[in-house]
Amino acid sequence: MTNHQHILTLAVLLGAVGLWLMLPRGGARGRAVGTVLGIVALGLWFSQFHGLGQWTADGMFFVLAAIAVVAAVGAVTSRNPVYCAIWFGLSLLGTAGLLLLAGAQFIAVATVLVYAGAILVMFLFVLMVAQPEGKASCDQMSWEAGVSAAAGIAMVGVLSVAIGGILAPSCPAMPPIAPPTQEELAAGVLDPHQVARLGDELFGRRLIAVEVAGTLLLAALVGAAVIVNQFSGRRHDGQQKTV
Amino acid sequence: MPPVLESLLKIAVLVGGLMTAAAYLVLVERWIAAWVQDRLGPNRVGVPLTKIRLFGLGQPVADGVKFLTKGEFTPGQVDKILYFVAPVAIFVAAMAAFAVVPLGSVVLPASWGFDGPVRLAVAPGLDVGMLYIFAVGSVAVYGVVLGGWASNNKYSFFGAVRSSAQLISYELPLGLGILGVILATGSLRLDNIIVEQARSGTWNVFVQPLGFVVFCVAAFAEAGRLPFDLPEAEQELVGGYHTEYLGVKLMLFMVSEFLHMILAAFLIVILFLGGWHFWGLTGSAEAVSWPVALLRVVVLLAKVMGVILFFMLARWSWPRFRYDQLMEVAWKVMIPWGLINVVVVATWMEYGVQLARPWNLSAAQGMAIVGWGVLLLCWLATTIIDPTASGNRPRRDLSVNDNCSE
Repeated sequence: MTNHQHILTLAVLLGAVGLWLMLPRGGARGRAVGTVLGIVALGLWFSQFHGLGQWTADGMFFVLAAIAVVAAVGAVTSRNPVYCAIWFGLSLLGTAGLLLLAGAQFIAVATVLVYAGAILVMFLFVLMVAQPEGKASCDQMSWEAGVSAAAGIAMVGVLSVAIGGILAPSCPAMPPIAPPTQEELAAGVLDPHQVARLGDELFGRRLIAVEVAGTLLLAALVGAAVIVNQFSGRRHDGQQKTV
Repeated sequence: MPPVLESLLKIAVLVGGLMTAAAYLVLVERWIAAWVQDRLGPNRVGVPLTKIRLFGLGQPVADGVKFLTKGEFTPGQVDKILYFVAPVAIFVAAMAAFAVVPLGSVVLPASWGFDGPVRLAVAPGLDVGMLYIFAVGSVAVYGVVLGGWASNNKYSFFGAVRSSAQLISYELPLGLGILGVILATGSLRLDNIIVEQARSGTWNVFVQPLGFVVFCVAAFAEAGRLPFDLPEAEQELVGGYHTEYLGVKLMLFMVSEFLHMILAAFLIVILFLGGWHFWGLTGSAEAVSWPVALLRVVVLLAKVMGVILFFMLARWSWPRFRYDQLMEVAWKVMIPWGLINVVVVATWMEYGVQLARPWNLSAAQGMAIVGWGVLLLCWLATTIIDPTASGNRPRRDLSVNDNCSE
């Protein structure tokens, strides 16, 4: 094991303990300690990141990544469901920014549009209608905090050790990442026909997959309409809410 | 000039211009309201400490100073953090949408320190421009929803719940209206959509009137303008989602509302009314020299102003919809119309040339005839079937024993 992997392992362990302390387990014990541990773990992770070569790109990456990770932690540790939803939305915005930085314009915008714009607003809507008084007691506890913290951080750990190991400077198989050249930028981020190419791919080679996904969604929609109509004879807005 | 500096300059001009425009549009709105209601309207505030009135042009400055200097009172029952986040979120989202809106065409280089062609948009290279506006626009819902929830007040809460349902419902016809234009242009970029209309000389409103109607109605609803202003509805909800707000935070809500209207006007002009193009005046090349480019900016802004005036007149021409009417217009009229429009445009894109040939028509002429014909048919069908017929009569379907076919 190299020094690099030691640091990553330490970051994973600290992150796991910090996350467990931060999760709402029926009291406020250890939240501050957990926050500090989480920040230290995040710093350790970031210290092992190999730059993209330009300080603007690096700075953007760090800011967006920090937003995405911190907001994701906030989404699972917050006690108030409305705050959870807002943290989740912020995490999505950070992720979309990272995707944009990586040159995936369409996915970045679609993430915001579909998740933050439609699904999350629906969450908020349901939270408001179902719990106008705010917090239900069942939402303020994290059941199985230890197991969920371990499971979440195990995945992050495996990913970061695996990817971090590949990207380690001592690893001979892979040279450090070079900043993208102008040609690469023109083919990726600045490509004027990016969406057209994506459309060709989706509705050309992968047409059947798209059609199957669409049919599945239609079936879900019909199912939701049937379930809603079972409950009462009178007309209401069930169809609208399920879209 | 380095690109970062150029971007910062564009952002500064855009933000400054939009804030000023929003402030003065409030004055214009009040003038028009006064004119419609046969009053004088604000005409007194001019240069301070003198008696010069200047037709009330000082009013926005006075309003702004008043908003900024009001005491920052936070009501006791609110959720402190979200109460603060909501106006910021709605304002940032409203402002960010303008990043991809082209304020003109491409300007060829001419001294002034620019080394390349200047594109009159903050982020001109974004290939997914239209989707970006949608995405940012959908984030604006948060401002309303959070503002209403954080205020911890029944009126605010009703406003928030109404608006989340309204804005989500009307995003569908909005998208369907745009889809026809995107199909016809083959690009999601706003500048390409304008160039395509300028090149053919046919504005999209002539060939896709149905899409135009659907998009306009949906844009009114998304901007929360009067026939659709249920989220705030002064007469029934006091002020809706911003009942509990005052001072700078209220100003942010108000300015965002006007920014939404300006954005809707820009989109209507760019997508359907030819953008900066005007026959015999602006030419149709994509890149031009400074004088022509400035003329194009003037043409674009004049069109936008025209649409905004229409928005303001519409405000005093229709009463507010009732909530069920609002939903019926969206789901029973606008979405079917939008779907029909998409199908017709797609069919015409595929078979139009062959269909138009026997009658010696160009593809654009044929599309115009088909488009207006379809609009007429849709309108006739809607009036005959009348899906919103329950209108102002008692709701039969609400009685328990009635099992009508609905």
